[in-house]
Amino acid sequence: MARYAMALDYKNCINCKACETACKEENGVLLGAQNHRIWVGTKEIEGEFPLLNISSSNFLPSQCQQCSNAPCQEVCPTNATYYDEHGVVRVDSDKCILCSYCMTACPYDARYVDDRTNTVDKCNFCSDTRIARGEITTACQATCPTKVRIFGDLDDPNSEISEVLRTREHFSLKSYLGTDPKLFYLT
Amino acid sequence: MNFKSIIPIKEVSIKELFSFKMSFSNVTMAMITLGLVALFTAGAITYFIEGHHAYNVTREHPWGLIIGMYVFFVVSSTGLCIMSSIGHVFGVKEFEIIGKRAILGAILTICTGFLVIALEIGHPVRMVIYNILTPGFTSAIWWMGTLYGLYLCFIIFEFIFLIRNDHKWSKIFGLGGLLVGIAAHSNLGAVFGFLIARPIANGVFFPIYFILSAMITGSYLLFLMYGFRYKMNFPKEVEDMLVKLAKILGLLLAILMFFEIWRMLTSIYGGVPGRAEIAKHILMSPNFLVGEVLLGMLIPFIIILVSKGKNIKGLVWASILGMVGIFFMRYDLVHDTQLMPLQLLKIREYQLPPSLVEYFPSFAEIAISIGGIGVCLLVYYFAEKFFNLDYDK
Repeated sequence: MARYAMALDYKNCINCKACETACKEENGVLLGAQNHRIWVGTKEIEGEFPLLNISSSNFLPSQCQQCSNAPCQEVCPTNATYYDEHGVVRVDSDKCILCSYCMTACPYDARYVDDRTNTVDKCNFCSDTRIARGEITTACQATCPTKVRIFGDLDDPNSEISEVLRTREHFSLKSYLGTDPKLFYLT
Repeated sequence: MNFKSIIPIKEVSIKELFSFKMSFSNVTMAMITLGLVALFTAGAITYFIEGHHAYNVTREHPWGLIIGMYVFFVVSSTGLCIMSSIGHVFGVKEFEIIGKRAILGAILTICTGFLVIALEIGHPVRMVIYNILTPGFTSAIWWMGTLYGLYLCFIIFEFIFLIRNDHKWSKIFGLGGLLVGIAAHSNLGAVFGFLIARPIANGVFFPIYFILSAMITGSYLLFLMYGFRYKMNFPKEVEDMLVKLAKILGLLLAILMFFEIWRMLTSIYGGVPGRAEIAKHILMSPNFLVGEVLLGMLIPFIIILVSKGKNIKGLVWASILGMVGIFFMRYDLVHDTQLMPLQLLKIREYQLPPSLVEYFPSFAEIAISIGGIGVCLLVYYFAEKFFNLDYDK
């Protein structure tokens, strides 16, 4: 079985939001400011005009961090949040009781309430759409014009993601919490 | 064998059920109760029409006033259960008179808590099913819910044996209810204490603090129940009990203040990001200063201290303030936990960088939460008609 992860070459991001749009289209995410599985954070440019520090400006695409030690999975009272065979953290909407504990427990604000099922939803690496159809890319990765996103199998030493994590420096968000995310930011 | 031979229940006609002495305090209480029940009904109807959109909870602030109110009710229940066990579980003579009234209060408050939370979580029926089919043993909510279910069974049996005057079995179920109740209630504290994403809540503080504040809540409620029952003209044995209770309450409040001081000091000291700034924010907020500290702790504490616990009438009035303070303790607990934004950067155009999360309850949330008190009072009124809650020697 694969162990899916994503590396983000975030300095290439141009904040075109194609990934957000592709995600919504692929997974049928409803419109609305609160309803988003993935997002792009904007860091404000430092300094005062005209003395701006151009290099301080960057964009940080983010989403569910697919933690190996996921707080949301630990706190779920009905095991609606589970790890699938590919190590992806997923929500079984039939079991979710919408107690919102996972939303409070997730350190990344990655979860939201889906109005179609009235349950909690989040990024699942297109597990029930593209991956289920046998494809090996996610919608956000396939659409990214500047190749920010590298999606693949950590257990396959020849995969692009394994290669890039071997050769490039990277970090993960809030790593001090011990959640062991499978989203890696390349520096 | 019929129902009445199992549970001694008084024969009450419909007319008797709705008639009471038209004194000022009774009529005031009746008006308040009916007003609150109407408010609750309005809130519940709004929720059934609009669903979760009737609430002001958001992605950033998923737990709102109703969660706080649920905690308020179950804190009351556990508190009454613990305080009543002083008498008929641990055998302290003066406290044996509170048994029935306190346990009935514990049953009613936890049922109201369940009612309120059922209107908050999205799928309460599904919860019951999957709580059993696919239990999440690492989840504090699972333990809290399951143990509270068991606790409710224990205290119902305890109450049945109490009104049957079977002190052997009521003691056994009382001990069971006490132990399971403490386990359940500390697990409710752990629901917050286990949140690694929220440094202000994370840690061992809440499970212990919940037990302590429950005992304080139980004491306030006993003052209110007895103050209303005897309209401030207490018989000798009730007065003796309340003076003793006041002294215990004074000690508990002193410990609570001690707890809170160290909690704030450890939160601020060292300036841990996401914890220190929230602690400072809490320290400056009127909810904390006026609600929790002044109403919830200081005023009752000063009354006990000045009168050496003998000013029972003053304490009954102060218990009203105390319960308002306890309400703010629960609301702040839920709200302050979520104050720190988890988003690091702004994620939409024309948005300011993330700052402290704001939340104010909607009409439906306020109506269901505050109205829940009315539901509890109404059922208490009926229960008082059906059962003999006073101590028979």
